[in-house]
Amino acid sequence: MKRIIAMIVAVLAGLTLLAGYFFQTELAQLTGLLINWGILLVGLAGLIGIGYLIKTQIARVGHWQKGSFLSAIGLAAFLITVGLGFFLPLQDRFFRNWVLNIQIPVETSLLAILTVTLLLASLRIIRTRGWTLMTISFLISALISLILSLDYLQPATETPGAEWMELIHRLPLVGLRGILIGVALGGLIVGLRVLLLMERPYEDKQ
Amino acid sequence: MTWTEIGWVIIGLGAVSLLLFNFLFARRGRYVVRPQPAVRSFLKRRMHAFERGEINQVLLGSRLWSRAYPALGLHALSVASGLAGLEPGALEAQLIAVGTGELALFARQIYQGTYRDGYSSALNLALTGPTPYAFLAGFLAEMHLHPSGAVGLFGNFDQMGALIMEAVADQGGRPFAAAGSINAQAALFLTTRDLLIGEEIFFLPGLFDSSPGYQAAWISEDLLRVALLALLVIAAGLKMAGII
Repeated sequence: MKRIIAMIVAVLAGLTLLAGYFFQTELAQLTGLLINWGILLVGLAGLIGIGYLIKTQIARVGHWQKGSFLSAIGLAAFLITVGLGFFLPLQDRFFRNWVLNIQIPVETSLLAILTVTLLLASLRIIRTRGWTLMTISFLISALISLILSLDYLQPATETPGAEWMELIHRLPLVGLRGILIGVALGGLIVGLRVLLLMERPYEDKQ
Repeated sequence: MTWTEIGWVIIGLGAVSLLLFNFLFARRGRYVVRPQPAVRSFLKRRMHAFERGEINQVLLGSRLWSRAYPALGLHALSVASGLAGLEPGALEAQLIAVGTGELALFARQIYQGTYRDGYSSALNLALTGPTPYAFLAGFLAEMHLHPSGAVGLFGNFDQMGALIMEAVADQGGRPFAAAGSINAQAALFLTTRDLLIGEEIFFLPGLFDSSPGYQAAWISEDLLRVALLALLVIAAGLKMAGII
């Protein structure tokens, strides 16, 4: 019985939202309500997730397991942020400084590491993947894109050179669209599988 | 024909094709997809890592849903279900890393459903954080606590996925990726040898479980793609000829 109710709810909610995409004005209220319920449930799942996270970290600190020092720091930072968040409004200057002055430098440094990593990875791509049509095309197109992005080559408008430049600028978009079509169709089929009950991530396997 | 009508037609064709081929393949016949050596070697490495007592790590994405790629989270859960079904004796030999609470709940449900009596509440489920940066920081901290085996990256990731895979390779882990946005796939191409791109990503669950439903999904996806490409080529040809 539990399975059937879950299946009916999933299918009805999915079909209503799908129909709402096509009949936007007629079903706006209903889809809005369903989306709000969804957001509420996701929020609740988030709370349960946070509870699980806290439980795991406390257990790690309590048993003095490997990594417990990091867990203690994480827990302390979490508790302070939540505590401050309860008493101070989101616009409060001290609260924003407390959060953003830690978060932004950390994220920026990760982005810097990513840039260097990708640069090094591009240089050693032949070693990683060997001499293949894909790797050679990748390197050539990356090189051309880098040169073009310098903006040194600027042919006069409405000349064959300008048209060629336009073509070269568009080529990556063509490849991007090709990959996106594959991803979009794959996503569509996954969604339809859930709607047609061929896939049920919300229930126990039999 | 309006864009809305085109949308209806594509969705309708997908649904009809899924139902039809599911029915046909349930009776007889099967659809064979292109071989994926990366997947074969990933599964082999998972088995070897398990035998060596290493922890296989499954990363299910920094979030369940995103506006641009709404199905990636569900797909990751489908992959997790397939992997769990392949190795029912190896619950403690896995680390499941997820970015958000709802992914954690679904993952827990999947593993609980698969292992049933053998399920332990001590499942290595790491909840890292809902942004790509938080996921990276949280996962790296977890990764250092376990001897890395095969590491699979699935679901919603951006280019930070490349940094995760690079860190995994540095730790001696063996990375495999079938994840992410276009940015992630471009970045992962540089760092990860065993990688699925574009539509190949969505073939993955069917490679673990060859049920008629997955076979129907493969052929439906292929048929829709060929139809769309043919339409694009025809439209481009007509435009070049000045007809439209």
